[in-house]
Amino acid sequence: MDYNHIIALLDRYWEGETTLEEEALLRRFFSEPHADMPEPLQEAAPLFGFFREEIEQEQALEERLPEPRLPAEASPARVVPLSPFRHWMKYAAVLLMAVGMGYAMKQHQRQETKVHIAEIRQQKEEEETRMAYLETKKALQLLAKNLNKGTEKMQKLAYFNEATGLITGTN
Amino acid sequence: MSLDLFLNQVVPVRQKLFRFAYRLLGNEEDAQDITQDALMKVWSQQEKMPELQNMEAWCMRITRNLALDKIKSRKYRLADELDRAGEVPSAQHSPHTMAEKNDVMVKVRRIIHELPEKYRTIIQLRDMDGYSYQEIADILELDMNDVKVNLHRARKAVREKLQNIQVYGL
Repeated sequence: MDYNHIIALLDRYWEGETTLEEEALLRRFFSEPHADMPEPLQEAAPLFGFFREEIEQEQALEERLPEPRLPAEASPARVVPLSPFRHWMKYAAVLLMAVGMGYAMKQHQRQETKVHIAEIRQQKEEEETRMAYLETKKALQLLAKNLNKGTEKMQKLAYFNEATGLITGTN
Repeated sequence: MSLDLFLNQVVPVRQKLFRFAYRLLGNEEDAQDITQDALMKVWSQQEKMPELQNMEAWCMRITRNLALDKIKSRKYRLADELDRAGEVPSAQHSPHTMAEKNDVMVKVRRIIHELPEKYRTIIQLRDMDGYSYQEIADILELDMNDVKVNLHRARKAVREKLQNIQVYGL
């Protein structure tokens, strides 16, 4: 067999200069056994053998490839009339949420009222405390004023007592 | 895009998409999932279809992007391709010849596996799937000259390692 043509092709193959047809020719050549292959061809034989075996293995795997699931349009959806009560849980959930929100709002309002009352009560207490303080202050001021009034009289009384003592003592 | 167009033009290439995904992921089930996801994505982007020049390349590109996303997002552990070495068919030859052949196949598999992802993909698309340079450029979103240069470099790297096997048995 004339291997020169194949060797020349192989050289061009390694250089990346072969066409698809030439590469197919090389694959065909290496797919058959050749007893007296020259060294340059022996070098490439395992590579082409590898390609062949990989392709065979992949073809075996491809046979196990399941049928594709096609897009939704492939099998037009059948329209099934649904009873309005079919999704009762949805309605129940919506109702429950509405009740829950109502309750929460009511609680919130109640809480606000309580806080408002407490604030008013606190203000009232503060006012009463302030008033009591002012009243006490006023009373104490009155007391202090009246206390000063009596001092002068007491002074006179003291002089009188002293004078009385002197008189009594001299007699 | 009508469903008929999808069934006639996209679904028939699903084997190629699967093969491509399988090579990237190294796992049959994941490759099946990615193939299905790719089909659904193609369908969901059907408005782009009229602008496309090569629909198969577009589908392949979507598959590759999905597979690479999967690898990135899940710290994907690529199945050791050497695990599959034992699957090489064992008829027609003596056990000794078969073992020798398996050994060589394991080494070649390792050589291909160790190539950078871009080199490996280009070699596979060209030498196993028979895509043209332009188709490979479309799939990988590369310039056609880049494809040629990378293919040349990839083959050169493979050749050097094959020579090592041939001469030193490495």
